[in-house]
Amino acid sequence: MIFALAATFFTDLSSFVSDNFDELLAGLKRTLVVSAIAIAGAFFIGLILGAARAHRIPVVSQLAAIYVEVIRNTPILVQIFFLYFGLPQVGVRLDAFTVAWLAVTIWGGAFNTENFRAGFEAVPHRYREAGLALGFSRIATFLNVTLPIGGRIALPSSINTYISVLKNTSLLYVIAYPELTTTALEIQALTLETVETFTVLAVTYLTLVWTMSALIRLLESRLALPEERS
Amino acid sequence: MLPDWVEPVARYMLEEGLVGTLKIAAIALAGSVLVGITLGTLLTIKFLPLRSVIRLYIEVWRGLPILVTIFIIFFMLPAVSQQLEFDALTASAIGLILWGSAQVAEATRGAVQSIPREQHEAASALGFGWIGRHSFVIMPQALRRLLPPLVSLLVNIIQNTTIAQVIGATELLEAGERQSERLVAPEPIGLGEIHAFEIYAGVMVVFFLISFPLTRLAAVLEKRLV
Repeated sequence: MIFALAATFFTDLSSFVSDNFDELLAGLKRTLVVSAIAIAGAFFIGLILGAARAHRIPVVSQLAAIYVEVIRNTPILVQIFFLYFGLPQVGVRLDAFTVAWLAVTIWGGAFNTENFRAGFEAVPHRYREAGLALGFSRIATFLNVTLPIGGRIALPSSINTYISVLKNTSLLYVIAYPELTTTALEIQALTLETVETFTVLAVTYLTLVWTMSALIRLLESRLALPEERS
Repeated sequence: MLPDWVEPVARYMLEEGLVGTLKIAAIALAGSVLVGITLGTLLTIKFLPLRSVIRLYIEVWRGLPILVTIFIIFFMLPAVSQQLEFDALTASAIGLILWGSAQVAEATRGAVQSIPREQHEAASALGFGWIGRHSFVIMPQALRRLLPPLVSLLVNIIQNTTIAQVIGATELLEAGERQSERLVAPEPIGLGEIHAFEIYAGVMVVFFLISFPLTRLAAVLEKRLV
């Protein structure tokens, strides 16, 4: 009885997927593209502003602190609303795709600034001093000493931020940007195959997120500092 | 002086919206802590089937975007069975509890395992059973280590209550959106003016005023207790 039910459900599911394959794939692609842009953007924002914060570079450091606190202490959904529905009033009209990648990039960049700041600050002072004493310039010391060590310390928390960036792209549903979640809800509204839609949607997100967390563990053991390798 | 439209809008957003936000946040926090601490403590028992089930629960609800979880509860469950139909506020609170309890469970496991073995042994020697040992000896000590992550969780829960807006629950963002749409309508309902910029900026300010002190508190607790 249960097996028969499960079998019908799986046939339903596979016919649902093959019927809507093109739309679902297009949605998944947009989710991945927006996430990829945002992850790359968040990496560079985090690297530069995190370094500015850790080295207490005047003005830049203070501005970065304000950026980080504002973004971390307000909901990303409100930030998306502000960019898409609030800004046009003052003459800044951004299309859905621009708001899509911009919102998640700004959000990820703020969290990553904190990740990298903490990573760079965890590098023992004597390493930097040794670099400077050997005649490396400040920038060369950062690139050759602080970045390789601090970057690895920041790696686990920054990859968690990238996973959150991917999950947050689902919120772009509110501006009707046709990524995976928006696409799935459109299909659901047309076909009324509610259970199938949400099963496929949930399985897809879990596959993406679990793959990324598996990658973290692989990368973590590969890039771990020698003294932390077990 | 502020323009005339501000006062009724702000009053609606605070009296209806903010109250709704705090209501959802309070239910979600209480539920997450209760379920999360229970599951997290059970996770320290070395019984594989139980541990696998709790692990799966944690990984699923942590892995799914909260919006998708809330959609599943709000749209999919009623399609499975009519008894599983919830209003928007309840559905969002359940979604946040599933996600929040997964976070708390993971943190609790770490906190309970950080309590030295001797504490367990001493409590057993005094005649405490498993439940008594955990509720009177282990948990009070583990709670100290749990406090900073719980404050961070509270901040995240408060911010994530905005996701309830998507299914139309009355909370701060939804209240702001309703007012912003009302003002666009011609008089006497609205003003025929767009004030989305000020309204959404205002929503951000309110969330910032709530979250900022709490994130500071979490940072202070982290330094003090660890």
